[in-house]
Amino acid sequence: MSDRVAVVGAGEVPLRPLSPRQSYREMGFEAATRAYDDAGVTHQDIDSFVSVCEDFHEGTSITDEYTPDQLGAVLRPVHTVAGDGLQGVAAAVMLIRTGIADLVAVEAHCKTSNILAHEQVLTMALDPSYERLPGITPHFVAGMEMRRYLHETGAPEDAVAMVVVKNRRHALSNPVAAYGEVLSPDDVLASAAVCAPLREREISPPADGAVVLVLASEEAARRTPKPVWIRGVGWASDSPWLAARSWGQASYASLATQMAYQMAGIAKPDQEIRFAEVDDTYAYKELQHLEAAQLIPRADAARIVLEGGTRRGGRLPVNSSGGSLGMGYCFDATALYRTAAAVRQIRGEAGRAQVERAATTGTQRGLNQIEDCEL
Amino acid sequence: MNLTHARVWRGTMPVQYLYTAGVAGERFFQTLRRRGVLAVTRCAECQVTYLPPRLYCERCFADLSQAWAEVAPGGRVHTYTVVCEDQDGHPLDPPQVVAFVRIDGTDGGLIGRLLRVRLQDVRVEMPVDAVLAPPRRRRGRMDDIVGFAPRRALPRRRTP
Ligand SMILES: [Zn+2]
Repeated sequence: MSDRVAVVGAGEVPLRPLSPRQSYREMGFEAATRAYDDAGVTHQDIDSFVSVCEDFHEGTSITDEYTPDQLGAVLRPVHTVAGDGLQGVAAAVMLIRTGIADLVAVEAHCKTSNILAHEQVLTMALDPSYERLPGITPHFVAGMEMRRYLHETGAPEDAVAMVVVKNRRHALSNPVAAYGEVLSPDDVLASAAVCAPLREREISPPADGAVVLVLASEEAARRTPKPVWIRGVGWASDSPWLAARSWGQASYASLATQMAYQMAGIAKPDQEIRFAEVDDTYAYKELQHLEAAQLIPRADAARIVLEGGTRRGGRLPVNSSGGSLGMGYCFDATALYRTAAAVRQIRGEAGRAQVERAATTGTQRGLNQIEDCEL
Repeated sequence: MNLTHARVWRGTMPVQYLYTAGVAGERFFQTLRRRGVLAVTRCAECQVTYLPPRLYCERCFADLSQAWAEVAPGGRVHTYTVVCEDQDGHPLDPPQVVAFVRIDGTDGGLIGRLLRVRLQDVRVEMPVDAVLAPPRRRRGRMDDIVGFAPRRALPRRRTP
């Protein structure tokens, strides 16, 4: 039996700041329908389903019970991952490589506009004994991380602003992105400080959507029209204690990418990877993650971003989808939207967002529970 | 969006919790309340000192329940941020400076507000000491540490 696994179908609902018409389950149905159609399969062909969701994001408890019907998965094998979408992809890869399933659907959704104050959810994510400070926005953690990253690398705040400018501009070419816009670095630097040095426009704005990927064994993939092979996956979680983490470096992303590169047989990522989708929930994270993933030497990301090296036409296009800053932040669906974007790049179907020679790509994601996937 | 025109229902998730400090947390908070110093645990094998203290080493998985030590509540500003919004996104006036303080003699640290310092004088690696609530007003919680202040600005007296 072959060990190879491919993404054979991708379907998503365009990300939007608001989606008053549809429920998240109807959005999931739409994404699943598109993904199954893209793969040339029906819901009955899928052997196992993985749904990525978390109770506080849905406003219901025991959310895993709410996921089967919109995927065509009632009375079928389903499990839920309360983590990042890429952990759902990793779970699907394992289901296929262990021979349990030939076709697996991975679903994630984000009805962010249903959460009236996401900061309340973020605050409750902090340790109640030691880390919750009453009365202040939970973005303070990112503000402190950004300060330390800039301190250790000497990166100027202009480079962080340039990440926003680039990703918002990239998003203009991506029809599923919610926040395409032409901005200048000064527009970003003039936006209000939230937790200085972190500014309002450096925080990715939330968006609603749903996305489904279909993964297949080699045998099943051969029967589908457009397989994109997954060469490596990796994931790693840092210590949950803020006091035990590195504030300047994304250690989790280094480990996750090393795991993925090893599986893929990639020895020189900066030379072999043609484009990358990396987490930019906060703009500075893109710089931090590019260095952690060894795509850019440490403390060099700012210079390369300022020189335009990570633009769509640059030496290493980064987040040509628009990233979270341009597409919208969509909770645990973020990584699946980015994986879908990478699949379209590799197929040459990215339209105006297409980068040249998109043969090998990495997509990587990080916040507090971190993993990484290499396609 | 005007929510009155959308088919939505407002709701809350009214769930209440108790958070257990645990064996390590209990010792930390009682030591802070009674004597104004910080209880930490040390892994001799890994040469790591945990603050907040833990009963186990996250590196080698050793049991640290017998490996307690104490340190003074002072250290250096490892990083900081100027918080300009409250939890609901409204402006905080004046802004508050929040820091992660790497406590001397440990590999960990504590998050707290910076006090008695002008914004333009805050620096990464600046030495600070904890400002503790008066002994009788301490409750064995994180807010027994009111914040951290630059070391030179503190009056010359020993920590109680
Ligand atoms: Zn140890």
